[in-house]
Amino acid sequence: MSMSRTRALSPHARMVLAVLLDARGGWSHGYELARLADVKSGTLYPLLIRLEAQGYLEAEWQQPAEGGRPPRHAYRLTASGVQLARSNPPGQTATPAVRRGEAII
Amino acid sequence: MSSGLRRGLADLACRALQATLPPSLQSWGRAVRYETAGIPDDTKALLFALDSLCGLMPRAVASHLLQPFASLIGDGAPFSGGSITMNVYDATMRRPRALGIACMIGAVLLGLAYLAIAGAPTRYLVINAGALAVGLTMLALLGRIAAAGRQWTSGAITAMAGALLATALLGAEADGATRWVKLGGFAIQPSLILLPVMLIAFSQTRNALATAGIVTAAVAMALQPDRAMAGMLAVSLAVLVTIHRDRHVIVALAVGAIGFAATLARADALPAVPYVDQILYSSFGVHAGAGMAVLGGSVLLLLPAIVGWRRDAENRAVYAVFGAVWFTAIMAAALGNYPTPIVGYGGSAIIGYALSLTTLPRLAGGRVGAAFRTCGETDRTQHDRHLLVGLA
Repeated sequence: MSMSRTRALSPHARMVLAVLLDARGGWSHGYELARLADVKSGTLYPLLIRLEAQGYLEAEWQQPAEGGRPPRHAYRLTASGVQLARSNPPGQTATPAVRRGEAII
Repeated sequence: MSSGLRRGLADLACRALQATLPPSLQSWGRAVRYETAGIPDDTKALLFALDSLCGLMPRAVASHLLQPFASLIGDGAPFSGGSITMNVYDATMRRPRALGIACMIGAVLLGLAYLAIAGAPTRYLVINAGALAVGLTMLALLGRIAAAGRQWTSGAITAMAGALLATALLGAEADGATRWVKLGGFAIQPSLILLPVMLIAFSQTRNALATAGIVTAAVAMALQPDRAMAGMLAVSLAVLVTIHRDRHVIVALAVGAIGFAATLARADALPAVPYVDQILYSSFGVHAGAGMAVLGGSVLLLLPAIVGWRRDAENRAVYAVFGAVWFTAIMAAALGNYPTPIVGYGGSAIIGYALSLTTLPRLAGGRVGAAFRTCGETDRTQHDRHLLVGLA
């Protein structure tokens, strides 16, 4: 990971990570994630983009089960993402202290 | 709104987003579009699309704007347009003061473009550029002092109020208004330099001494008289009272409102000065490019307040007052013969804007004025490098 400095995760980031962690390795989709984490899509997608860029999130295109429907972008945590989610549960007060190796979100 | 229309608007928003995103983020644009298409409820689909557009569009635009700079960074890998650009964007957005500096420089440059297109004397361009240099120097020097000496804020507000009162009583007079001080062959307007920083500082530090300073400033604006600055004072305090309803703000607002009413009651016969007043209207008549420069520069002045308000809930009063101060200045310039800040000719507003930036936190979420301690030299990282390159 090239990122060398970190800052505390936002409450929204923690919620999204918690929902992804709850999926236990299963794939999640954007609308469902926004609904379960109670975040707006305008907050969710920039967050997902950043998590993926930092290696905490895996994304793939999934072909639909029914014909005539568009493919869907699906997401799940990588091993480092799982670690990040576990060390940043929702509701924890954000601390100003920064630690190397965490996400920049 | 019909179901088809809602669905059509949602699709339009998604396509607009896709068209704006850089190549490296195209798959995310498609992800939003396909996800929206899969939402059964039309209203929810429209809201999902619009919110995604609002959330990603600024980043998409920033990606395009910063791409040439980010490509200079290298990082040992070809620039992909994705994470590096977003890091530059995020680093800037997390630093309200740095964003303010970038906006100020951008607005001054747009102002210079306007002046050049409009055929203003070269001297005007040199003076505005010089004022930017002075402003940046003052920001560098006073920014550190402001961080270290917040206990002196009330005294500083009072001292500045004294300067404004002295201007009203002893300053240079023109057409019945006494707003200027002659300094080294230039007539400067102290209220444009000092009042913004006083008001924003008051949003952070309120006590009897600071309130006395603001009250004195209100009296000074009424005496000069200066509708624009008196309006700035009253509007900013009205905004502040909606966030902090304490007796200091209420007293200052009451006097500020009376002072503003007094300026309205008196005639203001100052004629418009070319390249200073009325340029929000006249610039489009000169050239569309000049008009866009003036308009774009004016919008840039408000950007730190808008971004700070959205991203730094802890310091919202500061951003609200900052926004109110400069919005009122722009509105006054649009409505009467008052200087158009930064983009028009005149160094006072440029220096005033620079000074007002000293009141913004260095880091969003950090304590105002204390950010130096949380962002030391040893803490410079890739984010900071991206930011510096982005601002270069």
